[in-house]
Amino acid sequence: MSADGQAPDPGPLLSVEDLRVHFHTDAGVVKAVDGVSWSVGRGETLGIVGESGSGKSVSALAVMGLVPVPPGKFESGRILFGGRDLLTTGEKELRAIRGKEISMIFQDPLTSLNPVFKIGHQIAEVIQAHEKVGRVAARRRAVELLGEVGIPNPAQRAREYPHQFSGGMRQRAMIAMALALDPAVLLADEPTTALDVTVQAQIMDLLLRLQAQRGTAVVLITHDLGLVAGHADRVVVMYAGRVAETAGVDDLYYRPRHAYTLGLLSSLARLDRRRTDRLQPIVGQPPSMIRVPAGCAFHPRCPFATDVCHQERPLLAAQSEAGVDHRAACHHADEVARAPAAVAAP
Amino acid sequence: MTTAAPTPTATPVAASVPLLQVDDLVKHFPVRSGIVFKHTIGSVKAVDGVSFAIRRGRTFAVVGESGCGKSTAARAILRLLEPTSGSVRFEGEEVTTAGPTRMRQLRREMQMIFQDPYASLNPRMTVRTILSEPFKIHDLPEKGRVDELLALVGLSPEHARRYPHEFSGGQRQRVGIARALALDPKLVICDEPVSALDVSIRAQVLNLLEDLQDQLGLTYLFIAHDLSVVRHIADEVAVMYLGSIVEVADRDELFEQASHPYTQALISSVPVPDPIRERSRQRILVTGDPPSPVNPPSGCRFRTRCPKFANELSEDERRRCVDERPALVVRDGSAGHPAACHYAEARQLV
Repeated sequence: MSADGQAPDPGPLLSVEDLRVHFHTDAGVVKAVDGVSWSVGRGETLGIVGESGSGKSVSALAVMGLVPVPPGKFESGRILFGGRDLLTTGEKELRAIRGKEISMIFQDPLTSLNPVFKIGHQIAEVIQAHEKVGRVAARRRAVELLGEVGIPNPAQRAREYPHQFSGGMRQRAMIAMALALDPAVLLADEPTTALDVTVQAQIMDLLLRLQAQRGTAVVLITHDLGLVAGHADRVVVMYAGRVAETAGVDDLYYRPRHAYTLGLLSSLARLDRRRTDRLQPIVGQPPSMIRVPAGCAFHPRCPFATDVCHQERPLLAAQSEAGVDHRAACHHADEVARAPAAVAAP
Repeated sequence: MTTAAPTPTATPVAASVPLLQVDDLVKHFPVRSGIVFKHTIGSVKAVDGVSFAIRRGRTFAVVGESGCGKSTAARAILRLLEPTSGSVRFEGEEVTTAGPTRMRQLRREMQMIFQDPYASLNPRMTVRTILSEPFKIHDLPEKGRVDELLALVGLSPEHARRYPHEFSGGQRQRVGIARALALDPKLVICDEPVSALDVSIRAQVLNLLEDLQDQLGLTYLFIAHDLSVVRHIADEVAVMYLGSIVEVADRDELFEQASHPYTQALISSVPVPDPIRERSRQRILVTGDPPSPVNPPSGCRFRTRCPKFANELSEDERRRCVDERPALVVRDGSAGHPAACHYAEARQLV
């Protein structure tokens, strides 16, 4: 991540455009992702923030071709990578990209690793699936990678099974596997949520170092606004399957222009300051994805809501006076901007 | 709530007596081996000599990472797990030696809220059945109480007819809180009450817990791993590592003058939602994972991961960490509160 918190290179490597992924269920249509666009450039970290059910993981799964169709259905959109639309790319070509050019790490490393194969074997398998290398060479590379991600005694640990690893070690092994083929893009879906904070700090430190060495584009998907503040260059805030706001990390935290972003930031208990008063929660609950409210999906919980919010779905509009690429889908962006800041700019 | 059963200690409870006093609490789990002849080959020292006191109406938080023994300590206090040794006194009365009848009465006074509202509510029971169960078990009249309880936690009477799966996570946790409060307890042990909830719901439940404390004069023992939540809600905080408390202090003192290297590492590892501050913060990284509680390191248990031990101490100073287990006492460098580190040195990290 660059020192000033702005994107280092504007040329996108991977971009998702107007993606709509709907799931047809017995209870109704779940619009898990409903017109979402984002992009990420070389060496850049994009944070995608949202609560459970906001659809924050779905676009990443779509990039990896991991959305089950049916029940899933792509209603619209393109996923552009290397001049190709991944949504129309055949399975065989996709397989060459997935794991090699774009890879993904998940929240729970225990369910992402095969319990009956040794760690070293599983990493070597990834290498052999994409490169013409022998078994021995692939194994040797696997051991090197385990060493690179900070696993002590890598040669010995490579011969162990996932259950013999601690949570932090498993996540390191997953990172080793994801980075085995030096991908251009790494999608990290809640990579540290299952880990303790001291281990989280180690893993994020590791990811950052590897990213700096290799210039990997990272998409960090999380519910943790602290993690995003420290690691993202740009942020996308999702609510009910749509992008509520997107901006450079400093603009988003210090000058939010969507009522949901402001509400989220204001509701947090803070480690870094003395408590003054009660917390200011967002009222109500996130909507059921089958019955997303009309107009602005956030209006039933929004202190700024007026009639227009009930009727008209706000567009993700550029915020002219704000930073370069700052967009918010809020009818009352100006009022939100005038409200007391949740996080005071230094 | 008075009962006919004889109380072992009939002394009037002075305001100065803590509501809960825990002394040298130990909970070891045996590790067995052998197929035909099982024999004990060691023990997991989950809680290894924990002492603290909670005053009435206060919130005392125990923080630590997974496996540090914080939840086991909570369960040993309620005797959901039988303590190996040590003393737990509730209003001056020894809990660990109370007979079954007395224990049942004591459980009314000490209730628990669990982390996972999905797992701790019976999916086959309606909310009404769940909330009236405590009254049945203790043979108390419940007429009208279920509706009162629902109102108390911000739910409406119609919710009583529903099943747990019909609720969101936040509402389910409200039902769990209502159940804990059914019998007017004095002490509520909250075991990670908001960890499973979404960010926007957390604040609602934390505020509810605070309101209930004010309204009902509750005392909380708050078990958590999230330091931001603890800084908000606790009056006093104890930090646990590998079965023992390493530092204990008033909330702001702990966060502003952390003296134990583990506390310092914990605080500096928690990301804060403030990008510029995050980029300029001093990080104290610990290496590796916590060691096994079956075979903890000699001397100071944190020394194997301690950044101070690894980077700042001389060979002679280190010897002391290896040989001598540091006691939890006020030290020269610990800013007036107890810290279990030979070389405690207060630092401001946030």
